[in-house]
Order: sequence, then structure tokens, then C-alpha cells
Amino acid sequence: MSEILLHAEKIDKNFGVTHAIDHVTLDFYKGEIHALIGENGSGKSTFTSCLTGIYHKDSGEFTLNGTEVNARNQVDGNYQGVAIIVQEIGTLSGLSVAENIFLGKEDEFTKCGVKNTNAMNKKAQELLDSYGFNYIKATDLIDNYNFEDRKLIEIVKATHFKPQILVVDETTTALGEKGRIELFKVMKQTRDDGRCVIFISHDLEEVIEQSDTISVLRDGVYIDTVKSADVTPDDLKKLMVGREMSNDYYRTDYGERVSDEVVLRGEHLTVPGEIDDFSIELHKGEIIGIGGLSECGMHEVGKALFGASYDRKGTVTLADGTQINDIKTAIDHSIAYASKDRDNESLVINDTIQDNICLPSLEELKKNHILHAKDQKVFAEKYAKQMSTKMEGVHQFMSALSGGNKQKVVLARWIGKDSDIVILDSPTRGIDVKVKADIYQLMDTMRKNGKSIIMISEEIAELLGMADRIIIMKDGRQSGEFKRAEDLKDTDLIAEMV
Amino acid sequence: MSKFQKFKQSQVFGLLLLIFIAFVFWAIFKTLAPETFGDFNRLQTYLKTALIYAVGGCGLYFICVMGPFDMSVGANIVLSSVIAVKMSNSFGYAGLIFAPMIVGVLVGLLNGLVYIKLRISSLIVTAGLSLVYEALSIFATNEKNVILGTSYRAFGDYPWNLILALFAFCLCGFILKYTKIGTYTYAIGSNEVVAKNMGVNVDKYKVVAFVLCGLFVGIEAVLTISYGTSMTSESNLASMARNFPPLMGTFFGLAFKKYGHPVVAIVIGEFIIQLLFQGFVALGAPTTVQNIVTGIVLLAIVTMTIKPVKGAVVK
Repeated sequence: MSEILLHAEKIDKNFGVTHAIDHVTLDFYKGEIHALIGENGSGKSTFTSCLTGIYHKDSGEFTLNGTEVNARNQVDGNYQGVAIIVQEIGTLSGLSVAENIFLGKEDEFTKCGVKNTNAMNKKAQELLDSYGFNYIKATDLIDNYNFEDRKLIEIVKATHFKPQILVVDETTTALGEKGRIELFKVMKQTRDDGRCVIFISHDLEEVIEQSDTISVLRDGVYIDTVKSADVTPDDLKKLMVGREMSNDYYRTDYGERVSDEVVLRGEHLTVPGEIDDFSIELHKGEIIGIGGLSECGMHEVGKALFGASYDRKGTVTLADGTQINDIKTAIDHSIAYASKDRDNESLVINDTIQDNICLPSLEELKKNHILHAKDQKVFAEKYAKQMSTKMEGVHQFMSALSGGNKQKVVLARWIGKDSDIVILDSPTRGIDVKVKADIYQLMDTMRKNGKSIIMISEEIAELLGMADRIIIMKDGRQSGEFKRAEDLKDTDLIAEMV
Repeated sequence: MSKFQKFKQSQVFGLLLLIFIAFVFWAIFKTLAPETFGDFNRLQTYLKTALIYAVGGCGLYFICVMGPFDMSVGANIVLSSVIAVKMSNSFGYAGLIFAPMIVGVLVGLLNGLVYIKLRISSLIVTAGLSLVYEALSIFATNEKNVILGTSYRAFGDYPWNLILALFAFCLCGFILKYTKIGTYTYAIGSNEVVAKNMGVNVDKYKVVAFVLCGLFVGIEAVLTISYGTSMTSESNLASMARNFPPLMGTFFGLAFKKYGHPVVAIVIGEFIIQLLFQGFVALGAPTTVQNIVTGIVLLAIVTMTIKPVKGAVVK
């Protein structure tokens, strides 16, 4: 066994009445990739946030190489040897690439209050080049780069100073293939240098493949640490949820006849730069899966069908002939949409769970044209509880919830609305196995009740397991279509994606 | 990205666009009123006014980029101008220059501290404090008109007005590009929470932005009183009208920020606004028509320049 690099001693953190981390004691060793797994709200991100200075722990002590780490913020954490790459975007618009990389560290380039911009740009470009990202220019405004490139810049920002501890918090879900390869390369380099990576991911196969050691948290409590080589995904699921998880994760039916009744028809849909002449027919009680590589245009299809795309050409028509050209018409005609970008496009983050769930159903909740707070509370509680949302109450603000619980609120909202057509973009992104199983179960029940679902997903297993029909997209167009079948393999789908 | 697309994002393109807009307005009014508009002497006069407002526009830029707003600029100008006259009587040019700067900084500091401590909208804070600043100017003048001594009016004309204004523009450009304050101004405006997580002391730099705004408004007051030579105290928020001329330049700065030279945009933007105003004056158009057309043209220029992404949230 190699030496302990980071020792966490009885780390404790509360958010109001929620005990987010309960006296967690854990060791991280030199030269390892140490995965931290657990259900949504289990305390993984809170634990690493306390380490890296995003949150302040209530009690306990982190010791790195024998010295206490007490980061006041991320940059302070960097100077103490810890760094984090977060799930959501962590770069700032309006600043150059170089300014983003060195944000908070300007003093390294400042003499007598004057910042040496040229030196900063030069250093940033050298770093970008050393990572092989030489197409990114340090002097450019960061706004000129797409989400994935901005994530790569974040990788440079978080790792260029060779932190002793690198936390990778659910970052892979935000990255495409290229980004993942780069990230894994950096993680392995960190390990090989004798430092340590704390890797947080809900993709258990990925966790086993990439990590050396896995620690499990449940409801803020440390459960166990295992060697990655000794466990299977099922073992980890059991540790995470505290009981045996059955393997009927996905639908088990095959060959069920789908109704001939078309409930929604999209024809010749084109959104410049996103989708090109895409057509689709959704039947009653059908789950259509749409898959492809991250930039294939599939995410825009969801918006186009919901009337949320700009510059959309082509038509979206319901069975009764209604044309869907805007969001209001879509919602009025029982269409629901959950975006991949939960925080920015699906939720009102600075509002309560209650308001978020009730938002599209306010008309239905009115009594004699008046909204009653009590009715809204009852309505929100009913659907939040149905989705097993971990919360203090429906009055709690969305911003305080974990990623998975936010997704539960999004789904609760549309279940409450009782929509007939549901478009789900990446419904299980950043979601733990237990909630995933709940969502799949919910989708299956909805399907059986005659609801129609379009599920856009980057997870092939999910497409194979849940969809009656799978449409694969490439470069904005449909490149293949598959009917649900037991012998359908992931390689069949991948062949049409690349 | 094609060469033309790259050129369209370049600093040179932004500068040429500004000059082109100025030229178009000059050409239109020169054609319509060849005798009364736009000869060399008149252009110098337009520039003289534009320089005054552009200095204030530079100050407001720090605040507007971050997100808050300062409604007390007008009251600050009045108070600083009044104090400048009073101090010039005792300390000559030193009083004229430094007293309004100190007053401006103190006003900015108070604005910033109250905004940070009370945690209420900057609009409300600065509008409320404007009443206080107006009252202070009334106390200072006994509600009488104050006049700057004839021997202290050098900053009202070339070359000293230009020198002082250029000093202010260089200072603004320097702070934005070569100090942490500039970086943090943009960082806080982009995402306050991320900036905080990166160790940026958000509250401190918000106060700094208000202080800088006050400083530049103080310099604007030096130019204002030197050019206008007299100032009357105002009450009941009448000073608010003085907020808008510098703000117009700030709009240009914000719109042309992506080209990397907001200060240049503020200055040329104010000059464009002056061309418009003076053009209408030359045509004999009523003030109401001038205001309507100027407002529409300003919105049109800013909209065309920013070209917001469809679907982007604009607040």
C-alpha cells in the first residue's frame, strides 16, 4: 500500500436541517484514481466542495501530506494543492482564455499593481499547447469557443499547476468523446505522477474502468471502500442503495405491437447548423429513442418538436392537425419537454420546488380564477413525493438540491401536468442508479398508459433498453433506424453514429 | 472561420464600424444643412461636449458591466461641480481639479458601501442617495448659482479639456486592461458565483467599481463646470437628467466591448450622439423630435452591433 496523500477526518456539513455529510473519515493514497460514488444527494459533491473551498465544512479536518487544508475558495484551494473540475460550466464569458485560466491568480503576473497581459497570454498559450489544445488561442475571448472546448480550457485551468489532489466532479457527462479522452489522459497522468484523482461519476462501468479504488457514500455517511478490480456494477449498486438492485433496470418486453395511431408528426425539420431535413412520426404509447454523438443535432430535435427552436423550418403537427410552432401551443396541447441543460432551460433555479412543479399547471390549479397557496403546496408535495425527491419541503429552493433531485422535480412537473407527449432530453444525465431505475419504471408505466415519449440520449444502453424504435442521427440527419429487438447490439447503433 | 469572419471580429473592424457610423451621420446632416452643420470649427465644438460626457461614460462602464446601475451620476456632477467652484476660490486649480475628484470618490464609496451593506437594488440605493447629494449641493450654494472664476476656466477649452479627457480615457483603458480590477469587473458581470469561487472578493470589487465611477464623474464635473462656467444646485431628482448623456456613451462601450476597445467606443459613441443632436439643431427640429429620433437611432445602433443570440436571455 502506498502512502496516504489526503486524510479526511470526521468531515461534517449541514444545510439547514439536511445533514449532507455525516462525520466522514476517508483516506486517499498517492498514485491512485479514487472514485467517490453514491446516490444523488449522498454527499459526494458536498464532500469534495468542502475540500476545494466551494463550501466550508462545519467540522472535521482535511490533511494533505500532513498539512491541514482549509480552502476559503477554489483559488485558495489551488494554492493548498487541491483543484476541482465541475460538472457545469466554470469559465466566465467576457474574459479571454488566458484570463480564465489565471482568474484569481493575476498576482503571479502583476508588478506594482500592473498586470503583464502579454506574459499571461504567453504562459497560457504555452500551457494550452502542452496539452495539445493548440487550436485554442489564449488571447481569444472565451465566448468564441463551444461548451466542450471551454471544458478543455477548464481542465488546463485546474491541472496546469499539478495539484496534489484533482477532483473530477461529474465532468464526463458534459463532455463528448474527444473531451473524455483528454480528461482521462490528464487523470492518468496525475495518478502516474504519484498524485491523486478523486473521480465522481454515476456511470458505474466508467468508474470501474477508470479508477483504482472506489468509496461509497450513502445519505452523507461513509459506507465502504473497495478495489475497482474486485467489484461489478451490481456490487456497487448494492453498496449505493443499501439493498440488492434487481437487474430489470430496463424494459423486458420485446415484440409488443405499437399502436398505428400517430400522435405527433415532424416533417422536414431543419434548424440551420443543427438539424437538416429531419422527419419523425411518434405513435400512441410508443417510446422513440434518438441517439448519436453529442453534436449530431439530436438535442435540437427535442427543441424543434416542442416549438422552442429558432429559425426552424418544416412542420410539427399533432393528430388533430394542430401545428406546433411555439412553446405555449405545445404545452396547451399536452406536450412536455425536459431539456438536457436542466439548470438553464428546465428549472427556475432561484425559486422553490413548489413553484417549479406548479408552473405549467397554474391554470388547472385555479379555483374561480384564484390561485390558492394551499392547493399549490398539496399539488407540489404530491408529485415531489411521487418522484421521491430528497428535500426539506416544497418550500426549499431549487439551487439547494443535488443534480438528480433537480431532475426529479423536472419530471414531477410534467407528471403533474399529465402530458400526453413527453420529450425527455438526457433524462438520466447525472442521475444515480436508483433514480435511473425509477425513471425507467415511470417511462414504462407512462407508455402502458398510452403516453408517447421521445427520449433523446447519449447512453446507448438506455436507448436499447427502453425504446420501441431507435433513430440514430449524424451531422444533423437521420443515419439509421432500428426497431426494438432482443438481438439489437450497441455496435449496430455505433456503426450508424460514426 | 473564413478570413472575412475573422476580420468582422477584429478590433480594426469595430473601430472602422464606429468611424463609418459617425461619417454617415455627419454626411447626412451636412447634406441637409450644409451651412449650419459640421464644418471643422463646429466639429471641434461637438467633440468638446462629447469629451465631457465620455469621461462620465467611462465611469459608468465599470458599474454597468458588473450588472448594477448608478442613478446618482447627475447629482454627483452637480455636487462635485459646486464644490469645485468653492474650492477653486480657495485653492486655485488644485481645488478645481482635486476637490471634485475627492467628492466623486466619496460619493462612489458611499454608494458602493450602502449598496453592499443593505443588499438592495443599486437603482434604489443610488436614486435615494441622489436626494441626499442634491440636498448637500443646496446647502453648499444656499440655492444660489455658483460661477467659476474667469481665471480658472482652462479646462473648458482646448487643449486642456482634451488633455484632461485623454488622461481619463487612458486611465480607464489602463485599469480595464492592465489591472485585476478590469478582469474582475468582467468576471463579476459574467457570473458572480463562479467569480466568488475563484477567490474574487465580489463585494470589494463592486465598491471599487462605484468608487471608480465616482472618480470619473468627478473628472467630468471639472470639465462640465469649466465649459459651462456656472452651476445651480438641483432638487427633487432634477439632476437625473444629467445621468443620460454619459450613459449613452456607456451603451456604445457595452455594445462594442466584444471588439476589445470599449473606451474608444464610448468616446466615438458620444461624438455620434453629439452629431445627431447638433444635426437636428442645425435643421431646426423641435427638441421632442430630436429626442425621439436620437433615442431610436441609439437603440438601432446598439441592437445592430450586439446582434443578440436568438433565444438568449436579455435582462
